[in-house]
Amino acid sequence: MMAMLLDLKYALRQLYQSPRFSAMTLGVLLGGLSIALFTFSFLYTTIYKPLPLPEGATAKRLVVYNDGEFDMPTAREFQAITQSANSFAEIGIFRDQDVRLSKGDAGRNFFGASVQGEFFEFSRTEALAGRTLSAQDSQPGAPAVAVLSEEIWEDEFDRDPQLLGQAIELNGVQTEVVGIMPSGYRFPHIARIWLPLPDKVFDVQAPMSEQFNAYIRLKEGIDIAAAEREITQILHTLQLHNQQSYGMEPVQKQARILTFQMAQTGGEGATVFFFLSAVSWVVLLLACINVGNLLLARILEKQKETAIRNALGASSRRLIGQLMWEGVLITLLGTFLSVCLVGAVLDYVNVALRSWLPGAGLFWWQYGLDGATLLMALAYMLSTVFLAVFLPAWRSTRQDINATLRDGTRGAQSRKAGRLSRILVTTQVFLVAILMLIGSISALIANKFVNLDLGDNYQNVMSTRYSTPEHDYPSAQQRLNLTYALMNAVQNHNAVTHVSVAQWLGPRAVYFADKVYSDEQKGIDIDTISMLGDYQATGVQLLEGRLFNLGDTMDKRKVVIISDSMAKRYWPGESALEQHFTMELEGKQQQVFVVGVVSNLMNPKSLFGKLDSADEIYISGSQFVQTLQKLSYRILPGTRNADEIFYQAMYKIAPNLEVTQTVMPAIKNRDKMRESMKFISNLTFATGAFALVLAVIGIYGLTANAVAQRTHEIGIRRAVGARDSTIVRLFMRQGAFQLAIGLGFALLLFALLAMGFQQFTEGLFPVGAYYVMAVAVSAALAGVVLLAVYIPIKRAIKLEPVAALRYE
Amino acid sequence: MSALIRLENISKSFYTDEIETQALHGVNLSITEGEYVSLTGQSGCGKSTLLSLLGLLDSPTQGHYILSNQDVSGLSRDQRAAIRSKQIGFVFQSFNLISDLTVAENVMLPLSYQFGVSRKTMLAKAQEVLEKVEMSHRTAHFPSQLSGGQQQRVAVARALVNDPAIILADEPTGNLDSRNAAAVLELFDKLHQEGATICMVTHDPASAQRAQRSLEMFDGRLVGDTRNTKTRQPVAHNALDLEAL
Repeated sequence: MMAMLLDLKYALRQLYQSPRFSAMTLGVLLGGLSIALFTFSFLYTTIYKPLPLPEGATAKRLVVYNDGEFDMPTAREFQAITQSANSFAEIGIFRDQDVRLSKGDAGRNFFGASVQGEFFEFSRTEALAGRTLSAQDSQPGAPAVAVLSEEIWEDEFDRDPQLLGQAIELNGVQTEVVGIMPSGYRFPHIARIWLPLPDKVFDVQAPMSEQFNAYIRLKEGIDIAAAEREITQILHTLQLHNQQSYGMEPVQKQARILTFQMAQTGGEGATVFFFLSAVSWVVLLLACINVGNLLLARILEKQKETAIRNALGASSRRLIGQLMWEGVLITLLGTFLSVCLVGAVLDYVNVALRSWLPGAGLFWWQYGLDGATLLMALAYMLSTVFLAVFLPAWRSTRQDINATLRDGTRGAQSRKAGRLSRILVTTQVFLVAILMLIGSISALIANKFVNLDLGDNYQNVMSTRYSTPEHDYPSAQQRLNLTYALMNAVQNHNAVTHVSVAQWLGPRAVYFADKVYSDEQKGIDIDTISMLGDYQATGVQLLEGRLFNLGDTMDKRKVVIISDSMAKRYWPGESALEQHFTMELEGKQQQVFVVGVVSNLMNPKSLFGKLDSADEIYISGSQFVQTLQKLSYRILPGTRNADEIFYQAMYKIAPNLEVTQTVMPAIKNRDKMRESMKFISNLTFATGAFALVLAVIGIYGLTANAVAQRTHEIGIRRAVGARDSTIVRLFMRQGAFQLAIGLGFALLLFALLAMGFQQFTEGLFPVGAYYVMAVAVSAALAGVVLLAVYIPIKRAIKLEPVAALRYE
Repeated sequence: MSALIRLENISKSFYTDEIETQALHGVNLSITEGEYVSLTGQSGCGKSTLLSLLGLLDSPTQGHYILSNQDVSGLSRDQRAAIRSKQIGFVFQSFNLISDLTVAENVMLPLSYQFGVSRKTMLAKAQEVLEKVEMSHRTAHFPSQLSGGQQQRVAVARALVNDPAIILADEPTGNLDSRNAAAVLELFDKLHQEGATICMVTHDPASAQRAQRSLEMFDGRLVGDTRNTKTRQPVAHNALDLEAL
């Protein structure tokens, strides 16, 4: 114990006497640990952490993969599962929706959710006042009721104790407030108002059955995989039945039970988690290499002292302990500071996200220091102690005492140290080059998206999404009439210039008459959009032919408008007008005629490509009526309360309309995307810049240390006649060799990544951009490495040969 | 014989934290070609400093140093380096071989710093001097794979490779056992007999006696300069068996 205290005191004195060394080592470690810890904590809370609810760890989402694509179960599928599956203890469906709270002429939108009766029991949360929703509230004919959050109760009703039992206007309907949920409760995502999900959603036949989010809690002891297998089998049986009964397309169904967070990322959270974790580990590894090297340099300075201690009888264990104390102290302090720093940053992120994001972000985004983060900090600390502290100390104690104590044989030791140093520099160059190159691609992608031309124009355009479910509007004509009525009501406002209703339907199989398709071949998939009204509402320009009109009714020939890219691709040199082809619509192949050609639109499939990389087909919304619609209307600049234009129209025509997305400037989503891309771009730059700073410090430290270790050799070379310039050239050549190896491997890997990326993105960037990136990163790193060699060597050769020969 | 080296009133001072330490005080010395000179004295008397100045590893604070009729006391660093690579051969107490280089590469080092010497010539010359010190069978070895005696013989070979005007040896036997020390001294005797000029710093009076001329230093000054007339001690046959070392 006494020996340990003595060693500790000695280490503290050493650190105190070398403030520059201590500060630099601490700074590098603090940076590396903080980046790694923040990344872990942020991603863990976003993707993996159990929901902040009682028994939150067992609350899961049930999702369905249709032909491998992430999707949600339909109401019919959900019914089949509840009737046949035995693996679950609780199950239910819900839908996120916007709810408009009106007070006289004014109104405000809130995020809400339509939920089933057992929803609140599932979240193990009771009402703060009143009651939660029950199964009876969902039954046909039940009075309209709602549960509000405490925040709404406070902000909108000033905590009125008489509110319970009173009617308020929600979505134009007088609704009784039956309960208040406690502060902070926003389950399932960002809800502030909860409405009952009507049971009539189950009264629809399979082909028209709507999709819903589903939650599930398994029975105790039931394995997730077993439950997935059971539900998949049920879905498979139902699918076969639907194919036979309704002629539905065959689809491979697979049930998956995911965490709420994972489901929110479309099941892709793990990939993001592991990729970003890998990047943060690389940064931590770089920090460890640098800290390890700085400590190794200190240890090598004490090599003779260590040998003397060893010769005097100190055991290897004692020596390792002694040499490790300095590093352990720095690591402990670094970990403590990084935990404090990360805690502060996470708190800031919490506050920032709540103020930036509508609805204050998902309810489980409660960032802050938690048990998992502290455990990970401990793991990082132990890894750092092992990599950056123990290994150099252990290595140092493996020296040949005789060799070290005997003059003139230091070469045997320094040769190994030199080799290690060279390997570290090369590894460092490789890692930093990879980080910088990948960072450059990320920055380019972010830049591309920030300045992306999507082919539309959403300036002064308001948009909303609504649903016209079959249970409320059983016939297509009813749904169409509603849409026309809504469009007309909005168009009648004197501040509105254009109105359109559209719905992105995704890819549809297209068959051309002059091509032969085998049974197996499913034609060509082309993105299809259902459209009604004036295209100018979204900025798409008519280039040839006409737009859809009232004459395009369901009983007439089916007409389409195609994008300019499609016209040029399939009918080059001739007019596409009146050309016809067959496409898969509403479950059957239908012949369609081209009546118009419009400007190209960037669609999700070609986001990584150009405007004309992928084609679009617009089908008439009056011939193929959709249940879900996106209504957009262009307003005159400076129009105030533009959202009220839609709501007033809605209350007049269809007060019960299910608005799934609040009315907002259409540009808002675009701005959010651009802002998030800018954020990613800045984050990438910041990480890349920190990696570069680490590289500069690390490579400089390594080379300076290597040069210091070779000061004696420099003395010998000069004693036998080497000029200053010869020595500089020699070291620069060796530095360049390490640079070439590290950079060479990095460029090789980058070339492979770039080729894959280029293929995946269909030539998003010109090939020259990759060369520019490679040259820029190579030049930056070459500058850093060669400067890091040049400065210490220049300093070393200032010593007279005789002083260099005496250098220890 | 003409003077190969002439020191005129050479002084050398070192400064540590503004404290001046005078290592040499007005040293005057002349060494002729082919001479074998030993330099003795107590520790700290300035022997090694004088040898460093003779080897152009350092510059005098005052005075003139004439080497081969050229005043080298005011030369630049590169000019001094050029002279070292052509005219001076060093043998150090701690061998000072470069650990990363093989025996042959270590020996070739001085030639590699001269302009216009081909690698073939360097190799041939290295081989020649390694044969002279009976180390030609270890050309591919690294210094750490050799014994102390062998390392010092490689160091002697390196000192010979550029056909120097003078060989400067700083305690060349200081790190060697008596057998190896005797062998190295015998090597020096042989080189001297072949015409080499040698200046050797030593603590050992017996070693000093092997030189033709003994210089003695005290407190930075030359205080003795004697010609040795004593016959050299014969070296035992087995001590001369370099291969056995």
